[in-house]
Amino acid sequence: METASPNRAIHTEKTERNKFFGTWLGEKRDLLVLWLTAKLTGVMIALMYSVKRKKRMSHDNGISGIGTVHMVENQSFPPHEFFAPGKSYPIRIRHASATFLDDAMNCIRSMSVKFSHEEFRSPFDLEMNTGPIGLFWSAASFLQFAALRKQDYGIEYKDYYRKYPEGLVGAQVSLRRNPFSFTNLQFYCQTPFLYKGTDGLKRYAKYRVIPFDDEPETGIQTDMSEWDTCNQRILPDEARGRNYLKYEYVDRINQYGAKYRFQLQVHPSSEPDDPEVFNCMKLWDEHLYPWNDLGIIHITKVLSWEDSCRSSFSVGNMPKTLGILPAKSLYDYNSLNYLRMHAEVARKWRLFRYKFGGPPPPVPDNDNRNQGDWEQPS
Amino acid sequence: MDSKPYIDANQDTVVGDKTIRQICLECWEEVRIEYSKTGSFFGPKLKGINHLQVGDSSLIDSPLTIFIEKMLALYIRFSDAMYKLKRKLFPKKMLLHGSKKDCRLVGNLTFAEREDIQVPVHHMELIFWGRTRLGQWKMLSAGYSDEEGKFDLPFDLRAACSWRFRKLIFEINQISHVYYEEVNAKPHFVTFRQIPVPKGDLIGMSYNLRNIQLYLWEYRRDIPLPRVMIKDHNKDAPQYYSKARENAIKAQFIPIELTKLKHAEIIKVDPDKLSIELIQADYPKNLTVAIEEKIPGYTRSDDWFAFRFMNGMNNATYLPDPADPDLSWIYIYGSLQYKVNDQYAFPSVGVQCKMSDKGIPMPIAIELTGPISAWDKNPYQKHRFTPEQPDQWLHAKRAVRVSAALSSELDDHFAGTHVNTEQYAVAAYRNLRLSPVANLLFPHLKEVVLVNKTADEILIGPGYIPSASAMTAHGIVDRCVDVMGALNWKDWTPMRPLSDNHYYALAENLFWEVVGEYVDEFFVEYQDRIIKYWHEVYCFSEDLVNHSVPVFQSKRLNDENDPERTREAYYAERYRFNPNHPRRSVKGQLRAVSPITENKIYDPASDDWNQLKHACKYAIMIATFMHTWVNEHQYEDIGEVKYSSLGLRFGEKPEGIILPESDTSISPDLLRSTQMMWFSNLLSRTEFGFITRDEEGDINPLFKARLMEHKEVFLKYGIRVEDIESRTNI
Repeated sequence: METASPNRAIHTEKTERNKFFGTWLGEKRDLLVLWLTAKLTGVMIALMYSVKRKKRMSHDNGISGIGTVHMVENQSFPPHEFFAPGKSYPIRIRHASATFLDDAMNCIRSMSVKFSHEEFRSPFDLEMNTGPIGLFWSAASFLQFAALRKQDYGIEYKDYYRKYPEGLVGAQVSLRRNPFSFTNLQFYCQTPFLYKGTDGLKRYAKYRVIPFDDEPETGIQTDMSEWDTCNQRILPDEARGRNYLKYEYVDRINQYGAKYRFQLQVHPSSEPDDPEVFNCMKLWDEHLYPWNDLGIIHITKVLSWEDSCRSSFSVGNMPKTLGILPAKSLYDYNSLNYLRMHAEVARKWRLFRYKFGGPPPPVPDNDNRNQGDWEQPS
Repeated sequence: MDSKPYIDANQDTVVGDKTIRQICLECWEEVRIEYSKTGSFFGPKLKGINHLQVGDSSLIDSPLTIFIEKMLALYIRFSDAMYKLKRKLFPKKMLLHGSKKDCRLVGNLTFAEREDIQVPVHHMELIFWGRTRLGQWKMLSAGYSDEEGKFDLPFDLRAACSWRFRKLIFEINQISHVYYEEVNAKPHFVTFRQIPVPKGDLIGMSYNLRNIQLYLWEYRRDIPLPRVMIKDHNKDAPQYYSKARENAIKAQFIPIELTKLKHAEIIKVDPDKLSIELIQADYPKNLTVAIEEKIPGYTRSDDWFAFRFMNGMNNATYLPDPADPDLSWIYIYGSLQYKVNDQYAFPSVGVQCKMSDKGIPMPIAIELTGPISAWDKNPYQKHRFTPEQPDQWLHAKRAVRVSAALSSELDDHFAGTHVNTEQYAVAAYRNLRLSPVANLLFPHLKEVVLVNKTADEILIGPGYIPSASAMTAHGIVDRCVDVMGALNWKDWTPMRPLSDNHYYALAENLFWEVVGEYVDEFFVEYQDRIIKYWHEVYCFSEDLVNHSVPVFQSKRLNDENDPERTREAYYAERYRFNPNHPRRSVKGQLRAVSPITENKIYDPASDDWNQLKHACKYAIMIATFMHTWVNEHQYEDIGEVKYSSLGLRFGEKPEGIILPESDTSISPDLLRSTQMMWFSNLLSRTEFGFITRDEEGDINPLFKARLMEHKEVFLKYGIRVEDIESRTNI
C-alpha cells in the first residue's frame, strides 16, 4: 500500500496477467508495431527527403575528412578483438551542423565516424552528436520530436520542449552556438551498444570523441531559457558566415590536420538489466564506469563537398559483437538505434538520386541566413 | 441559540398571579417557532438560499409554474440519480493500476489571479486516471503538489498507453468537506479541475503539464476586505451548501417569504389597508411582543433596557466613567464620518450606567451625538437625556436601541463574525490540506463565504440596510474595514463578566474554555502531523496577514464632542484590540492581523505552537458562539418594528427621532417594516448546522462531548448547547 497523502490511502492493484495474451502476444504485437513503424518511417524519410529533395533528414550541412585511427596500446577496458591494441584502421569522418544550412546558427554539431575510407561500406560506423544526452530517447519520442518540429525561420520544437522537459534539457546541453572549431567539441553516441569482448561476457558500451589536447569545449551555452533553446537563429549583427565552421575545418586540416581522442565507457550486463541502463537521457556514473581511451583519430585530408555528401554512415555497420541492442517496442530505449538502422532505405534512395544531377550544391556564402533548405531557383 | 430572558431586576415582582420571571420564561417558550417540513404538491416553493432577495426571493406560487417546477425538480432528481448510478457503476477506486513507474507527469500549480500567479498551490491532491472504453476509471498515479506547487506523478507508461483506455485525465482535487467517523476525520474530495492528457503525447520520461493556474479561493480585489471572489454562487463558488442545508431553509422560510410578498402586494395596491401593527401581527411573535401582551410597557422599561444591553444582541461593553468609578459608559458609534443618506438618523450614543445591587448596569443618562432631526445636521451636536424627563427618556431609549441594533448588525454581526470568519476561511481553504488543522477548522469555516455573498446582495448594496438605515453601501464597507482593523486573534480573551447576572460574558467565557480544551486535546493528538505540514500553517498565516485590513486608527479628532475620541479605547475593551501587538506592514499599511508564525519550518523555540492554537480557538469561537449569539438574538431585539429597527427616519418635526413609537413618520415605512421582519426572521430562524446535533456528521465528537459536559451550566446562563451553531451559514 502506498499513501499519496495522509488523507487517503491508495492500494496497488494486484494484476495477474494471462501469460499468453498478456505477455507473449503483447510482446509480439509490440515487435510488429515497432517493425512496421521503423519501416514506414524509413520509407517516409526516403520519400520526403531523399527522393524529393536529395536531402538527409537532418545533418546536410557537413564536411568530411579522412585519415587513420590507431587503437591505444595501454587499454584499460575489457579487451575486444576489433579494438586490439596497436591496431589501425583507415577512417572517414563527417562533421555536420543539424539541421540548418548555416554554421552560425545555434545547432547541434555532429561527428560520424567510419572505420574505412569508403563512402558507405565499413566494419564499424558511429554517429555522434554534441551533448552527453539526446533530445529523444526512443522511437516513440523520436517520432513525436519529428512531428513537433514546426520550424519557422530558425525557430523550432517549441511544442516539443514545452511538453517534454527532458527533451528541452537534452537540447540545452547539446546545442552549440558559434563554436570555434569542430575539433574542440565533444561528440557522444549517447545510446549504448553491445560490447562482447574476447572474454565472451555481455557488456554495453557508449562511445565518444573528444579533442586530443583536452581543449575546452566551445559553443556551450548556460542559463538558456526555453525560448533561447527554440530560437536557433543567428545572433543579431552576426559577422560569421554561413560556412565559417567548414572553412575553419578545411584550413585547419590543410595546415595541421586534426587529432581526436576516441573513448568508450563500458557497463556490465546483468539479468535482467534495468531498462534505465539503455536510456540515452541518463548518464552512466563515470566513477563506476569511467571513460577509457580507445584510439587516436588523425584526420589528414578534407574531402570535397560532393564527397562529403556521399559519405554515409549506419549503425548497421558494426561487428556482431559491437552491434545495436535488440528493441522490444516503440517505447524501448533501444528502439532508437533500431529505427536508425531501418532508415537505410532513405540513404540508398538519396545516393540513388545523386546519380541524377549529383548531390545538392554547396551552401552559398550569401546573406540568406537561418535557412534549413537550399534556395529554390526563382 | 435562544437565551432565557432571566430578569434579575424585579424578577420577583408579581404581575397578576405570576412573577415577571415566570412570565418572561413562558414568553420565551411561546415564541419558539417550529416550521412544518412537509408541503403540498402545489405548495409554494423556494428555489434555494442563493435566491433569497429582499424584494422577491424567486418564490413560485402559480400552480402551473409550480407544476413545471415540480417536473423540473423531477428531472433534476432523475439526473442526480443517473449521476449516482454512474458513480456506482464506475467508481473511482483508489487502486493503483500498472506495475512500473517509468514515466512521469510533471508540472506546477499556482493561483490564477493576477497578483497570485507566482504563488504556488501546495499539497493539492492530484490523480491521473485512465478511462476505459467500458467507462471504468483506473487510477494510474496519485500524489500531491509539493510546497513549491510542483508535482511529479510516476506512472506505468505501457499501462497508460494501453488500447483499453479511451482517454486519460489528470485530475486536481480539493477538500470540500471534512466528516468524522468516530474521532477520525475523513476529508471529502471533489474534483476541482480535469485536464485531458493526449495518449499519443505520452512517449516516456516525463510529460510536462506546465504551469496550471487555478482560480481557487481567489481574493476579491474590488473591496478592501479579505473576501473570496464568487461571481455566481450557483455555478462557480469555491464551495456549495449541502442539500440538507438547502432543504432546511426552504422548509423554514417559505411562510415568512409569503408574508412579505403579501405585504408588498398590499402596499402596491392599497397601502392604507396595512399598518405596522398589522405587519407585526402577520409575523410570528417575537419575545418583546409576547411580553408586551402580558406585561404592557415592561419591554420599554429601564429594567428590560439594562438587561437586554447586558445580555442581548448588543452584549454591551462597559467602559469606566473617568470621572466617577461607580459609573460606566456604553458607547455606540453612529454615522461618524461614514457615508450616510439624509433620510435616516444614526446618532452616536453614550449611555451612562450605574451598577445595581443585582449586578446590572442601569441607565442613568443618555447622550446622543450627531443629527437627530432634519433641522440640524451638525455632526457634533450633543443631546443629553435623563430619567427625569420621562417622555424624552422613553423616546431616547428607543433611539439608543435603534442605533445599537444597527451598530450590532454592522460591527458585531457582519464585520465581527461574518467577514471576520471569512478571512480565516479563505486563508484556511487556500492553504490547509494535509495539515490536521484543516480537519479542525473546516467544519466551522464552511459555507460562510456563501452566506456572505448572499448578505452582500440582500443586506448590503443594494440590499436592505442601505434602504432602511442611514448607512450607504459604501459606508458599510468603510465601517466594516475599520471594525475589522480592530479584530485580531492575538491574545484575544472573552469578555470579563461584571456580575453573576452577566450571562453573556459568563457563557462566552465558558464556551472559550470548552473550545480551549478541545483544541488543546486536538493538538496533542495530531502534533506530529501539524509539525510535519507546518508549511501550510505558515502559508495560512501569510495569507491571513497579507490580506487583512489595515489596523484600526481613529480618523478624525477635530472636535471635543467627536465620539471618535473614545473609539480606540472602546474597541480595545470590546474586541480586546491591542494596537501594540506585533503586526506587519504590507504595501505600506500596518495590517490588523498578527502573524501566527514567521517560520516555514516549525521552530520549537518559538511560541508558534501556542499562537496557532490560539488562532484556531479564536476562529472557532467567532464562527460558532460569537456568531450564534448575535445572529439568534436579532429576532428578540429587532423582531418588533416599533421596539427597535435598523433605522429611524428624521421625520419633519424639530424633535426628530425623539418622538413616541406611535409617530409613524419616523418609523420605517410599511415596506421597510415588513422587510425588517422578514430580515430578522430570515437571520434568526433559518439555522442549520449545530455543534451537538451534528446533522452532517462533520463535528469532532470530542468537541460535542466537551460541550455536552457543560450543558447544565450553559442552561444556567440561558443557553441550550443544542442551539449553538457549528458554523456561520446564515
